[in-house]
Amino acid sequence: MKIINIITKSLREQMRSFWVLILSLSMGPFFIFVYFLILETSKPQYTVLVANNDKGVMINGQHINQGNHLLAYLKRSKADTITIPFTVDEVTDKITGIERLKNKKADALIVIDNSFSQTIENRKANDSTAAAKVEFIGDLTNTNYLISAIWANELLNEYALQTNPKKRIIDVKETALGISATITGFDMIVPGILIVSLIMLMFTASIAFVSEIENKTIIRLKLSKLTAFEFLGGISTVQLIVGIISVLLTLLTAILLGFHYTGSILIMIIIASLTSLSIISFSLIIAAVTKSTNEVLVVGNFPMFLFMFFTGAAFPLNSETLFTVAGYPINIQGLMTPTHAISALNKTLIMNMDVSSIIPEIVSIIILTVLYFLTGGIIFKQRHLKLT
Amino acid sequence: MIQKVCFAILVFVIFNSHNNLIWYNHFPTKLAQLETMIKIEGLKKRFGEFTAVDGLNFEISRNEIFALLGPNGAGKTTTINMICGLLPPSEGKITFDHLGKDRKSLIGYCPQENIFYPKLTCLEQLIFIGQIYGHSSKSIKNRAIELLGLLGLEDKTRVRACNLSGGMKRRLNICLALIHDPEILILDEPEAGLDPQTRILVRDFIKTFGKEKTIILTTHNMDEADRLADRVAIIDHGKLLLLDTPQNLKRTVGEGDILELVLEQSNEKTMNRFAENIAMLSMNVKINAESVLIKHLNIIEQLPAIKHLAENSGLIISEIKLRENTLEDVFIHLTGRTLRQ
Repeated sequence: MKIINIITKSLREQMRSFWVLILSLSMGPFFIFVYFLILETSKPQYTVLVANNDKGVMINGQHINQGNHLLAYLKRSKADTITIPFTVDEVTDKITGIERLKNKKADALIVIDNSFSQTIENRKANDSTAAAKVEFIGDLTNTNYLISAIWANELLNEYALQTNPKKRIIDVKETALGISATITGFDMIVPGILIVSLIMLMFTASIAFVSEIENKTIIRLKLSKLTAFEFLGGISTVQLIVGIISVLLTLLTAILLGFHYTGSILIMIIIASLTSLSIISFSLIIAAVTKSTNEVLVVGNFPMFLFMFFTGAAFPLNSETLFTVAGYPINIQGLMTPTHAISALNKTLIMNMDVSSIIPEIVSIIILTVLYFLTGGIIFKQRHLKLT
Repeated sequence: MIQKVCFAILVFVIFNSHNNLIWYNHFPTKLAQLETMIKIEGLKKRFGEFTAVDGLNFEISRNEIFALLGPNGAGKTTTINMICGLLPPSEGKITFDHLGKDRKSLIGYCPQENIFYPKLTCLEQLIFIGQIYGHSSKSIKNRAIELLGLLGLEDKTRVRACNLSGGMKRRLNICLALIHDPEILILDEPEAGLDPQTRILVRDFIKTFGKEKTIILTTHNMDEADRLADRVAIIDHGKLLLLDTPQNLKRTVGEGDILELVLEQSNEKTMNRFAENIAMLSMNVKINAESVLIKHLNIIEQLPAIKHLAENSGLIISEIKLRENTLEDVFIHLTGRTLRQ
């Protein structure tokens, strides 16, 4: 059981590389803390401007301005029902509103047409061709505009229904999946950060492999009776332990900061373990093509960047589906295991879905891990462990 | 009945073959010394167009201390790497008398560079290396403590390797090569960078160890090779130039021993007469005001004749000084004075 000897030796070395271990383990909790500070201390604020150009109408000797009513309705609805922090401000005209939008002082501008009241009255008098005009203005690339516009549009429809005695044709009911109705932005980001804490293993694992080459102790191992499997397996086991500790510390930090989750922690640990193994296997590829810690730091940056920012780990990401396997969509990011791991964690921790629903993700992670390990193992053996 | 006879014959054959194996393993030391431990035939190593080792042929006997001497880039380390199995030969073959062991257990390698785990203690890494050679933890621990004691590191068992001095690291490196009890110990520049005290300790250890095991060492330290090796192979440009005992090498090759005759009384006339007489012996002579320097191979044998010539020439000798031919003289004679990479 030489693999036990390798594990013992690697554990000792890992424990004695105190600062490297502490920094690796604290990376996940640190990311969680930073995201918590960003998401929880800087709550979003949406400002909607309204330019009311409505001239109003005279009905039974009384002047009625529907634009003013709409404006009051918006302000009242905001106070009564909306938990999202909206602010509704009135501006004198469209030009003033646009000026404020350009200066990022507001997110959306609603311009009420001067015939707004007249059109609504015509509609009440059964003129089905009459349609009140309201213009939405904003930066379409700004998500704040999109959220503001959706919210304002919804309230506008509600107001229109109130002014019209007809009943709704479609009554929409919304049902939240899992705990998605109650989760915060912080909750949404935690599964990705759990995987980020594992992606950080890429450096520690690569360095653990490559330090044998850098110190030239690989010569002693090559001359001994140790097999490549025992050597790689031993180091991988220690890194797996580091990975599991790291992800548990990250989860603990998230829970302490108010992370809400459903599902089983055991399943989460299984997903994390498989992901750790895949990252360690990928690290083997990095170690196989490098010879020193410095080279690992240079070469390793590229895949780490891809794993962090193109898998949805650091922030949510969508991509074109290349093909589907048994109904499971595969995209270009699917070549990287964190993509599947994050999907699986979201399903279990957020959506409260059972194990059977994450089987495609688990199978994908296992297949990719085997591919990574075989590629890395073969190259590493050829380049660094070959003995005549 | 026939089956019983066949079975008996089979048992007899197996028993005898097994006995032969045991007998072979425990071959008496003196006889074993005559046996070839490593045989190198037509060994070549090419790196692209460059030939690092060019057709080496030699044998190394069991329990022999064998030195590979050569300038930088001569092909010593490449040869050693091929013997260890770290490099495949381009041509030729290396055969071992395995003594019933597998090749990996047979060889202990102490590279020129100190190779160890800096974060492990001396004892921890010796035990680890022993274990990956298949030894039990308990037996290897005893051997590790014994080895550390033999190389003067008994009080450093629990000290991390990174905290050792240069000499201690070198000794630990030797311990690591020996921990699995190899039959062949390969030492690449074992005394490089050591202080005189450590050098003597290591040298004594190698000498003691060489009585029971085969040692191959590479060096360009002539004194080290002269003091330690039973035989020296001088190689340059990957080729074997000469292989013999240090004594024979010094006797037969080189610029020769130097004899200095310190004169009590001399004059130009006697000096010239002596120069004429000694010229007949084809010796390299340098005459100074108060001494005569004569350089010749194996000059000690010529000493009576030289003394006779000097006296006949009228020279009065007050002192005779002799500096023996060194291995360095042999080395320079064979490899030249040109600087190497």
